[in-house]
Amino acid sequence: MREIMAVVYREYLVRITGLTWMFFDLAVPLLYLLMFGVAFDRALGQGMNVGGQAISYNAFFLAGVLSMTCFGNALNTSYGFFIDRDNGILFEFLTYPITRGQFLLGKILFQCVMTVLQSMLTISVSALLLGVSVPWHLIPFVLAAMIVGTAAWFFFLSIFAFLIRRNDTFNMVINVLYFVLMFLSSVFYPLDKVPTWLRTVAMANPLSWHADFLRFLTLGVGDLHSILMEAAGFLLFLFASFWIAIRALQKTL
Amino acid sequence: MDTTPAIELNALVKVFAKRNQRAIRAVDGLSFQVPKGSIFGLLGPNGAGKTTIIRILTTLLTPSAGEARVMGYDVVQNPLAVRRQICVVLQENAIELHLSVQNSFRVFGRFHGLSRDEIQRRADRVSELFGLSEYLNEKGMDLSGGLKRRVQVAKTFLIDKPVVFLDEATTGMDTFNKRATIQAIKEESLKGRTIVLTTHVLDEAEVLCDSIAIMNHGKLVAQGSVDSVKAYGLRMMSLSMSLATVSPSTLDLIQTYQPIRIDVKNTTLDVTVKDDTAALAILAAVRQQTEVRHFEITTASLEDVFVQLLDKKVSAT
Repeated sequence: MREIMAVVYREYLVRITGLTWMFFDLAVPLLYLLMFGVAFDRALGQGMNVGGQAISYNAFFLAGVLSMTCFGNALNTSYGFFIDRDNGILFEFLTYPITRGQFLLGKILFQCVMTVLQSMLTISVSALLLGVSVPWHLIPFVLAAMIVGTAAWFFFLSIFAFLIRRNDTFNMVINVLYFVLMFLSSVFYPLDKVPTWLRTVAMANPLSWHADFLRFLTLGVGDLHSILMEAAGFLLFLFASFWIAIRALQKTL
Repeated sequence: MDTTPAIELNALVKVFAKRNQRAIRAVDGLSFQVPKGSIFGLLGPNGAGKTTIIRILTTLLTPSAGEARVMGYDVVQNPLAVRRQICVVLQENAIELHLSVQNSFRVFGRFHGLSRDEIQRRADRVSELFGLSEYLNEKGMDLSGGLKRRVQVAKTFLIDKPVVFLDEATTGMDTFNKRATIQAIKEESLKGRTIVLTTHVLDEAEVLCDSIAIMNHGKLVAQGSVDSVKAYGLRMMSLSMSLATVSPSTLDLIQTYQPIRIDVKNTTLDVTVKDDTAALAILAAVRQQTEVRHFEITTASLEDVFVQLLDKKVSAT
C-alpha cells in the first residue's frame, strides 16, 4: 500500500500546482449538464418515456454525464503518460521499487477521489437546480460505480497511451474513440427507438453498460437481469483492460 | 562470507527486432561480474550497447537470451526484488516539470520508503553537496539542463540502495558539479555501495573506476582493472614534444614510425606509439630536424588504449 500511496502523493503534488486545471476538472461535467442537458430538456418539452417511465431529459442525462465524467477523467490521466514519457520521468518511475500494477493503481486512485468530488457536485446541482429526483440512499453505489468506471476507462485508454508513441496520433485516435463511444451509446439518448444496427452496436459498447447501470441506480429504469449482465460485462472489461495495460506499459520501454 | 557479485551477466543477448527492418543485436553474448562495493565503468562508443545493458539491469528491458542478476536477483524472474536494490540515473534528463526541486526529493524519498523527516534531513545534505539549496523552490520546468541533471543525480544520493547505476551522469554538468559528483561517487563506494557507470569521458573513468569493461557492437572488447586494461595496449607510450617549428616534413617523418595517434596543437605534438623504443626513435629523429624545447614520455592514457582497442576490433579478454 505504501507504494501505491507514494504514486497518489506524487499525483496530488502535480495536480495542486494547477488549480485552474482542477477547477475545470470539477466544473466540466456540471457545464455539460447545465448547458447541453438544459437545452435538450427544453427542446423536448414534455420530457421522454424511458422503459415506460415519463422523465425529464435532465434526469435521463444525469447518468450520461456521470459516465462521461469517468471517461474524461480517465482520458486526462492517461494523457499524463505522454508528458511523463517526454520528460523521461516515466522511465525513472519504472525503476522504482514498485510493481507496474501498483503504479497504474496509484495513478488512478487520486483521480478517483476527484471523480467522487465531481460526482457529488454534479448530483447535488442536478437535484437542487434542475429538480432531478435523486435516490440519496443509493449514492454510495453510484460513487462506487463511478470509481470502477474511471479505473476501467483509465486502464483501457492507457493501453493506447503506452502503445502509441506520437502525441498527435494519440490525440487523433482518442478523438475518434471519444466520438464513436459517446454517440454510439446510451449516454445521450435512450436506445429503444434508434435503428436496430445502432442499438446493436451501442449495446456492445462498455460506455452503454456503465451509463445503463448508473441510470438504473439514479432513475430505477432498466431490466434488473440485463443491468446485472451489463455490470458483469463492465467488470470483465475493467480486469481485461488492467491486464493488457500492465503488459503495454512494459512494452512501451 | 557472502561472495555473490553485485552484478552478474551470463551470455546476455538483446536483439531489437522491428517489422520490415533488420534485427539489431545490441548486446551479443556478454558475460561479466562486478564485485560488491566497487566502482565499475562500462565504456564504449555510441551504439556499443552500454545503455541497453543498464536498461536490462534496471528491469526496463528484458533480455532476449542469457541471464542478468543484481545482488543475486534475476532481472526477469524477480524484477521487483532487483528494483529494491537499485537507484538509477538514466541517460534521459528525467525531471518532474511541474514539481519544485524540494517536492521532487519528497516524491523520490516516499517511493523509496523514507519518512518525511528523514527525507528533509537527507535533502538538505544533498542540496548542499550539489549546490541546489537556492533552487529548492524552483519548478523543474524552470531549471537549466545542467541543473536538471544535478537534481537527477542528487536524488540517487538521497537513498542508500546497494547498487547505483549512473548512465552518463555528468553530462551537461559544469566542472564544479562534476567534481562534486565524482567525490560523492567515491564516498558512496567507500560506504560499500556498488556503482555502475557509463561515460564517454575516459579521464573520469580512469580516475573513478576500480574496474572497467570496454564494449563495441554489443561485445566485450576488454575488461579488468584500469591498469590491466591499459596493459592491453602492451607497452604503448605517449610522447609529448614542444618544438621550435612544426613542418609537414616533421609530420611525415613521424608517420614513418607508424604512430597510433598524432595530435598537433600549434608547436606541440602529442604522439602515441606502440612502445618506448618507437618513442625514443621519434624523439631522436625529430631532434635531427628541429629544436625540441621540451619533451615528456609517459605511459599511454586509457583513451589511447580505448582508441586502439576499438580501432583494431580485437577481443582482449
